[in-house]
Amino acid sequence: MNADVTSCPSTYRTVDPQIQHSVEQFLYAEAELLDQHRYLEWVELFAEDTHYWVPTRMTRPNRERHLEVAGEDEAALIDDDKFFLRGRARRYSSGISWSEEPPSRTRRLITNIRISRRAESSDLEVRSNFYVYRSRLERHQDWFVGERFDVLRTADINTTGYPYVIAARKVILEQTTLLCPSLSIFL
Amino acid sequence: MIDFTDLVDPEHGWVSPQIYTDPEIYERELQHVFGRSWLFLAHDSQLPKPGSFLQTYMGEDPVLVVRQRDGSVRAFLNQCRHRGMRICRSEAGVSKAFTCTYHGWSYDLAGNLINVPLEERAYHSSIDKKEWGAMKVPRVANYRGFYFGTWSEETPEFDAYLGDMAFYFDAIVDRFDSGLEFVKGTTKWVIDCNWKFASEQFASDMYHTQSAHASALLALTDDPNPIGPLNDPNVPGRQFSGNGHGSGGYFLPAPVVKTPEMTDTMFEWFKSREEEMVARIGADRLSKVSITHNTIFPNFSWLGAHSTMRVWHPRGPGQIEVWAWTYVPKDAPPKVKNEIRELTQRTFSPAGSFETDDGENWTEIQQVLRGSQARRNRLHTAMGVGYEERDAFGLPGLGNDVYSETAARGFYRHWLDMLTGKPWSEIQKWTPNGNHGELRDEGVTA
Repeated sequence: MNADVTSCPSTYRTVDPQIQHSVEQFLYAEAELLDQHRYLEWVELFAEDTHYWVPTRMTRPNRERHLEVAGEDEAALIDDDKFFLRGRARRYSSGISWSEEPPSRTRRLITNIRISRRAESSDLEVRSNFYVYRSRLERHQDWFVGERFDVLRTADINTTGYPYVIAARKVILEQTTLLCPSLSIFL
Repeated sequence: MIDFTDLVDPEHGWVSPQIYTDPEIYERELQHVFGRSWLFLAHDSQLPKPGSFLQTYMGEDPVLVVRQRDGSVRAFLNQCRHRGMRICRSEAGVSKAFTCTYHGWSYDLAGNLINVPLEERAYHSSIDKKEWGAMKVPRVANYRGFYFGTWSEETPEFDAYLGDMAFYFDAIVDRFDSGLEFVKGTTKWVIDCNWKFASEQFASDMYHTQSAHASALLALTDDPNPIGPLNDPNVPGRQFSGNGHGSGGYFLPAPVVKTPEMTDTMFEWFKSREEEMVARIGADRLSKVSITHNTIFPNFSWLGAHSTMRVWHPRGPGQIEVWAWTYVPKDAPPKVKNEIRELTQRTFSPAGSFETDDGENWTEIQQVLRGSQARRNRLHTAMGVGYEERDAFGLPGLGNDVYSETAARGFYRHWLDMLTGKPWSEIQKWTPNGNHGELRDEGVTA
């Protein structure tokens, strides 16, 4: 048990301020890369064995809320390993990917960053809320709001420039019917 | 007043853009096109047991599609007969009955009214519950596990409605002994465009792929020069048009071929089932009707190579909701099903490397059509006029080169017949196994 991160039997967590600080700065740095469309640099923040997953969601009554978010073998918006995540980055950087050429303008607000230590691991489990605004062409706009569940693994900052790599990311959107014509940005 | 003579010309090949914007035309579409066509409701695998239900739409009308205790499937309008409240507000689930949350009227799995609160005191036991059930979808057809419904008693039986399109539909849905199933979950998103852009493109448009989807393969392979039909300007292929439906595809050099998008596991599994597929649909059909785009009129579409099926639900003249599913062979191993699902999501979903391009085109067209001049301008749909052939290349029905708009013209011809409220018995050239011909030697003129 690491003493730097503690969890109560509630949603209240305490964490060493240095860890909180470095995780926050890491996520802000990541958001900056995305808002600047530096996708080829961004994708290298992910571990080679990463899993980037955006499951679909549906309206269910309270007694069936456990079925609200699609399971691993069910419908997802994105369900990628590093190879295909890199492929998306390559495509959006190509200049011939018409839903991002001309590119969207995006601004990411990453908040409510909550950290816990993964059981029997040095990895961190990081939850964050996001609000991503996308403006496109003359007057098109989309809002993407939800929660991210990241697994961060310690990396050598002297080699990569970043203290972590993202070993897994799950993105849960609040919308069931996506109110956008395309999800050609990263969350 | 709508001038029906100035909307589309399926003979010479043009359409008026007002068919994509006019609110009066849209209202007529809901009534005469969506109200009189067979509309896709659900696949067998979405309703696994008695009481399984889902809510979908027929046009803009919400309907509940429910597995009955006897195994059959029925559908009824999701509208309480008391004050019109939506009876069930879950997207899907399992239930014994449906109780409206407004005043508590209850309906059974078939939509019959079974309970009214305070029946004795409030209604003095005089309400005739048999008369006040939910509005039933009077006809539901089960075609190889695909359920379609229509409000119209006059519409031909589903097999006849499908006509020669069955050849192209079966090529996908009937190629395995144990059939298909849908991966769990519906992917839903909204595009600000008229529904016909999507339906017509999936019926008739292979032509856009090289330009619109120029970047699609970049996301799927790190090979800078992938070999596949999309990159071969000489690849043979044909398009089919009939009864408003459309299909088009490239011919493969063999019944089972590895495309750049396919994983090794997927390819090997399909290859291992070649004998079964050939026995069911034939080697020639397998090679010619695999990499296809398709629409069953008016708004049910699928792709042969990318395992997606979808409905384009209309939401006013300028908006659609796309509801999409991944279909997989029912008895494929989990790894194969998963790799098919992943490929579908990476290509045809709101984040897919093909699909993102389509949404961009359709929303931009709809924006341009805000302009008055833009709506007066005729749009060209004449690709391949005069080059139609019937029953050529071993493919039944009216055909043309894969790069043509024969299916678009057939789509709009049928659409106009439906829109004007022409009775089925008079719909041009409609015969049980026939097509809307564009061949004047058969006596058909626009």
